Amino acid sequence: MANLLWLQGGACSGNTMSFLNAEEPSACDLVTDFGINVLWHPSLGMELGDNLQQLLRKCISGEIKLDIFVFEGTVVNAPNGTGEWNRFAGRPMRDWVRELSDAADFVVAIGDCATWGGIPATAPNPSESQGLQFLKRGHGGYLGAEFKSKAGLPVINIPGCPAHPDWVTQILVAVATGRAGDLALDEFQRPKTFFQSFTQTGCTRNMHFAYKVSATEFGQRKGCLFYDLGCRGPMTHSPCNRILWNRVSSKTRAGMPCMGCTEPEFPFFDLAPGTVFKTQTVMGVPKELPEGVDKTGYIKLTGAAKAAAPAWAEQDIFVV
Amino acid sequence: MVVPVVENLTRRVGRFMHDDDLRVELQSLLKGGLETKIEPRAWDQAKVDFILSRLREIDAGDYENKLVEAGFTLYPWGEGDDAQSCETCMYYVVHRRFCELPELMMPVEADWSCTLWRI
Ligand code: SF4
Ligand code: SF4
Ligand code: SF4
Repeated sequence: MANLLWLQGGACSGNTMSFLNAEEPSACDLVTDFGINVLWHPSLGMELGDNLQQLLRKCISGEIKLDIFVFEGTVVNAPNGTGEWNRFAGRPMRDWVRELSDAADFVVAIGDCATWGGIPATAPNPSESQGLQFLKRGHGGYLGAEFKSKAGLPVINIPGCPAHPDWVTQILVAVATGRAGDLALDEFQRPKTFFQSFTQTGCTRNMHFAYKVSATEFGQRKGCLFYDLGCRGPMTHSPCNRILWNRVSSKTRAGMPCMGCTEPEFPFFDLAPGTVFKTQTVMGVPKELPEGVDKTGYIKLTGAAKAAAPAWAEQDIFVV
Repeated sequence: MVVPVVENLTRRVGRFMHDDDLRVELQSLLKGGLETKIEPRAWDQAKVDFILSRLREIDAGDYENKLVEAGFTLYPWGEGDDAQSCETCMYYVVHRRFCELPELMMPVEADWSCTLWRI
């Protein structure tokens, strides 16, 4: 039996909603089939007031063994580094987070806010928000770059806005069943099994990407969303087109650009007007090119690809 | 009764014929000396947005004004690797020889160009 405690800081509860929608395994399966004992969760926990404080203190003292501490949302430090804007169970949430992280065998950050600050940490960041071990790309965050949980791992980051239910449940099951050692993490402490490939991997629009056929409006069934509508699929590490959402689709399959929500800079360009859903260009060339591609190569490839595009690539081939 | 597939094909052929006539018309307007706003180029997003907003005010069928506002030329803009022509533009549909930028939606030629070119 692995004890799991889930708390929420500066968050919209999106990752909780996502987690509660998990299907295989479901949140209930985690308890019945995989031996996870949910000590407390904001939407599921029974304890209130003094009882909850007692539970948390017992986790910190070791009276209750804390195997997995899950945190959703940012660590709020405002005003002036006190954390008073986000009080929980009688004290600033940030104080609980520090002590529970030190007490836990594993610490798991779920969603962009907990991993790198996400939307709350967007400039000017009035809530002085931080992720657990990152602030955007900067290593450190609230717990500091050197932090390791008792099991010797840094915070395991499962980003996303929100994270896909399967990313959450599969990592929790791996940790709870003693397979955390199998988890390889990337430079941003994301499990590589999910975050080494790109959103583009498995996208149904790949042929339109290759032949440089552009979608110009949301929901169009033909065309790639990279050229005009700001799709970040070629630059974003996520399995959204391998592990489908609701097991049926993904943003790009439905004609909606990937916004890069698993990357530390999300939301990109601090949401400045005109930067969302619009490919940013300099002299007509995209500012950001697919990983590993340079400008000259891109221009040459585009000329050749367009010249070679077969007629069918320019037509709507997904006829109902 | 026309079966749907045949009807679809007829519509497509009809569309291409219309494209050809219109393309010739546009070409003669430009050859005839129609002055278009070829500068400044739409190098940044603000300028792109500005031109697009002007285009949105023009009636869909008013091609002459679309040519003017988008700064059309009958030749590529620039030279060598930097040349900008419809042929390499993201909005160009090669087989139909058509610009699918929603604000333009008109037949063009591979070696034409406009200020909204993007790759
Ligand atoms: S729509 Fe996005 S993810 Fe899909 S092929 Fe185009 S750029 Fe890649
Ligand atoms: S498609 Fe992109 S924006 Fe959407 S969930 Fe996946 S990584 Fe996030
Ligand atoms: S937007 Fe592109 S394809 Fe359309 S007219 Fe301008 S250069 Fe040509």
